[in-house]
Amino acid sequence: MKLKTVKALLWFFLGIGTITGAARFLFGLGATTNLTDTTPWGIWIGFDVMGGVALAAGGFVLAGSVYILRLERYRPIVRAAVLTAFLGYLAVAVGLLFDLGLPWNIWHLIIFWNPHSPLFEVGWCVMLYLTILLLEFSPVVLEKIPALESVCKALKKAALPLVVLGIMLSTLHQSSLGSLMLIMPFRLHPLWYSPILPVMFLVSAVGLGLAMVIFEATVTGWLYDREHETDLLSGLGKAASVVLGFYIVLKLVDLAVQGKFGFLFQHSWETWIYWLELILSAALPAALLSRQRIRNSKAGLLSSATLVVIGFVWNRINVSGIATIRATGTDYVPSLIEISISLWVVSAAVLVFLFFVEHFKVWEEEAGTRDALHAPPVFEPVSQTWNDETFYGSVKRHSLVYAMGAALALMLLPQDARTGAQPVVIPVQRARIADKLVIDGNRSGMAVSFDHDLHKQKNGETESCRLCHHMRKPLDKTTPCADCHRDMQRMTYIFDHDLHREKLQAQDGCVKCHENTNLPKTFKTVTDCETCHTDMRLQNSVIKVDEKTPKNYAGGYQDAMHGLCITCHTQKKEELKKPRHDECATCHRDLPKMVIAKLDTLYGRLP
Amino acid sequence: MKAILTDVSKCIGCDKCVEACDSEQKQRPYKLWKWSSDDGLSGDRFTSVLRLDNNHYVRKQCRHCVSPACVSVCPVGALKKTPEGPVVYDADKCMGCRYCMMACPYGIPRYTWQDAVPLVRKCTMCYENRIKQGKQPTCTEACTEEATIFGERNHLLTVAKRRLRQQSDKYIQKVYGEKDVGGTGVLYISPVKLNFLGWKEEVGTNPLPLLTAPAMTAVLPAFFTVGAGMTALHWITKRRQMVAEMKQTETTHIKPLDRSSEDETENS
Repeated sequence: MKLKTVKALLWFFLGIGTITGAARFLFGLGATTNLTDTTPWGIWIGFDVMGGVALAAGGFVLAGSVYILRLERYRPIVRAAVLTAFLGYLAVAVGLLFDLGLPWNIWHLIIFWNPHSPLFEVGWCVMLYLTILLLEFSPVVLEKIPALESVCKALKKAALPLVVLGIMLSTLHQSSLGSLMLIMPFRLHPLWYSPILPVMFLVSAVGLGLAMVIFEATVTGWLYDREHETDLLSGLGKAASVVLGFYIVLKLVDLAVQGKFGFLFQHSWETWIYWLELILSAALPAALLSRQRIRNSKAGLLSSATLVVIGFVWNRINVSGIATIRATGTDYVPSLIEISISLWVVSAAVLVFLFFVEHFKVWEEEAGTRDALHAPPVFEPVSQTWNDETFYGSVKRHSLVYAMGAALALMLLPQDARTGAQPVVIPVQRARIADKLVIDGNRSGMAVSFDHDLHKQKNGETESCRLCHHMRKPLDKTTPCADCHRDMQRMTYIFDHDLHREKLQAQDGCVKCHENTNLPKTFKTVTDCETCHTDMRLQNSVIKVDEKTPKNYAGGYQDAMHGLCITCHTQKKEELKKPRHDECATCHRDLPKMVIAKLDTLYGRLP
Repeated sequence: MKAILTDVSKCIGCDKCVEACDSEQKQRPYKLWKWSSDDGLSGDRFTSVLRLDNNHYVRKQCRHCVSPACVSVCPVGALKKTPEGPVVYDADKCMGCRYCMMACPYGIPRYTWQDAVPLVRKCTMCYENRIKQGKQPTCTEACTEEATIFGERNHLLTVAKRRLRQQSDKYIQKVYGEKDVGGTGVLYISPVKLNFLGWKEEVGTNPLPLLTAPAMTAVLPAFFTVGAGMTALHWITKRRQMVAEMKQTETTHIKPLDRSSEDETENS
C-alpha cells in the first residue's frame, strides 16, 4: 500500500513537471523562473546540481570501502549505492539541461576547452564519471541476458580499475564544485566564502555519501518491507560521525584562520542560517551517531541520516545562492515552476530506481517477490480472460495520477508561462481634470500644473512618450521634469568661455578674469562675474544668495519668478491694491478651481 | 591596450551615449522586466547613466578587466579577451550556464531571459564594427562633453592622473579601475565616491582568476595522487588479506575455502 501511494505521488509529480518543463522550453527561462540578472543561479543549480552531485557521493564512498578497503561485509549494498549514484548523476545532467539557457550546446564542453574554468573541469568529470558508473552498474542488467555473459564477465573483472578511476574523478569534481565559488569573494557572505571551499565540499560529500547510503537503505527497506542488518548500517553511521566531526573542526579552524570568528556571533540573519546549517548538517548528526545506542536503532539511524541529507543540501543551496543575497541586494524565491521541475527530476530518478529494484538483482538477493507487481497479463484458459490486475492495474493508476498532475499544472500555469514573458507594465495615469495634470514630476513634494498635450505636441506626438514614460530611466515611472528643464530649480551656470575670450580678445582677456597668473586657472581662483557684470545681482535683489550658493551662478528661473514676484507682492499687498497677486493661481491661471483649492490647502496661501 | 576614461565631473547625464549605443548595437527597445535590476543595464542595454549625489552622473558599463573573471570561468571559452582590450562574447559557443554572470565582480553581464534562446549580453566596446576598423566606440564618439573618452590605456591613465593633480581639490584622489581587480579597461575619475562599482565598495587589487588558479592547478596532481593512493591502499589490503589467509593455513593446515562475506563479519 505504501509503495503504491509513494509511486502514485511520484507519477503525480511527473505529470506536473511534464507540463511546466514544456513551458520552460517553449517560452524560456524568464517566463518560467524567478531568476534575475543579479541572481542568475537558482534552485536548479543549488539543489539539482550542487545538491545532486553531493547526494550521489554514496557510490564512490561505498565502492571504495568494498573494493579498496576490502570491507567485504558492505558488498550486499554496494550495487544499490552505485545505482543511486548513477541515477543521481543522471538527474544532475537532466536538471542541468533545464537550467542551461542553450542546453542543445552542452556538447560544446567536449570541443571548446577552457581548462582554467572549474565548471569545465566539473563538466568533464561528471561526463566521465557517468560513463564509469554505467559500466560499474551494467553487469546488474547484463547478467540477465545470457548472450552477453562474456561482456558481463569482462566488466566484472574490470570492476577494480573502474572503482579506482571513479574515486579519482569523484575527488576532483566533488571538490571542484566548491572551486566554482572561489572567484566570487565579493558575492558570497564571508561566513561561507573560504579558500578551502573545495576541501570542505569533498569532506562533506564523503560524510553525506555515507548518510545517503543509510538513508536510502532504510527508506527502501521500509518500502519493500525488507530488513537490513542494522549493524551494517551502524558501521556506516560510525564512519559518518567521524567524517562529520572532522568537517566541523575543519570549518571552525578555517573561520579562525581567516579571522572571521566574529561573524559567528554577529546579529544578522545569515549568522542564524549558518548556525542552523552547521548544527543540522554536521554537529547534531555527528553527536547522535557517535552514541552506540542511537546508531543501533533504526529510528536513530534514519533521523540522523535525514538530518545530514537535509543539512548538506541546505549547505549547497546556501553557498550557491543564499549567501549572495546581502551583496546583490536581490532576494530570490524559486518559482513554483522551478520547484515542480526539480521535483520532476527527483521523481523520475526515484521511479527508475524502484524499477531497477523490482526487476533486477540490485541487492545481492533475488528480486522475485517484487516482480508480481509488474507481471504482464496472464491468460486465464478457464474463464477465457486476460488476468491483468497487477499489470494494468498499476498502469491505469499511474496514468490517471499522471494526467491529473498534468491537468492541474495546465490549470495553474501562470500567465507568463502560457504566453512568454511580458514586460512589467506601469500604468500611466490619465489626465482626469481637463487636459492638465497636477503632477509631482520631480518627486520633491511640489506639484506643478503639467500640460500633457502640449508636451506631447511639442516633442513629436506618439514618438515622444518614451521621453518621459518609464523608458529612459531605470525603474523610474516617468522622467523627472528637471531632466529636461535643467534650470528649473537649480542654480544655473551659463558662462560661455569661448564667447568671453572672443569679446575680450584672447590674451589680454585672460588676465581680466584669471588675475593672478601664478594660480592654476580654475573656477575657484577666477574673478567673480559680478566684478564686471555689476547688474547681475542688484543690491536690493530679492533672490537670496546664501552661503551655500556658489558664486558665479545665476538663480534658476523658477526661483527668480517665485522669489521676485511673490515676495514683493506679499510685501506691497496693501499698497498695490492687488491683494491676490501673491497667490499661486494668479500666475498659474490654467489651474482648475479644484486644484487651486487643493494647492491652497497643501501649501497654504502665502502670507 | 584600448580603454575608456569617464570623468564624472564632466558628465551632464544627457544619455547621448546610451542612445548611440542602443542604435549602434541595434538593441530592441528598452523594457522593464521582472528580472531587471535598478541600474538600467539589461540584455537589451549595454550602458546606462546613473544619478549620483550632488547632481553628478556616471555611466555604467562593462569594465573590460585586464584579467577578466568572466573569461576565466567560461567553460566553453565563449568569452574572450581580445589583444586590443575589449572582452567579447561568442554566442555560437555559449551554452548558457551563466557562470560569467555569477563571477563578474561588477555584475555586468546580463541575460535575455525573455527569449526561448537566451544569450549573455554585455558591452563589447563596439569591437567588431569599430575597434577593429581603428575607430572609437560609439559612446565616446557621441559624448558632447568629452566626459567619456577613448584611447590607449596608458595614455588615459596619464590624462586621468594629470586631472587629479591639477584639480586636486575637486576629485577624489583615485583613478577607479587603475588597479581594481588587477586593472580594468574602463577608468573613472570622480568628485564623489563611486560605490556603485561592484558588489562591494572595495574590490581589492588582486585579479580574481588568481583565486581559482591554485585549485585548478591542483586538479591534475590531485587526480593522480588519489589514483596512486587508492592503488597502493588496495595493494596493502590485498597483502594483509593474503597474510591473514596464510596464517590461517599454517595453523589449521587446511586450505581455506572460498571466503564469503559472512566469515568476514564474524571475524571482525
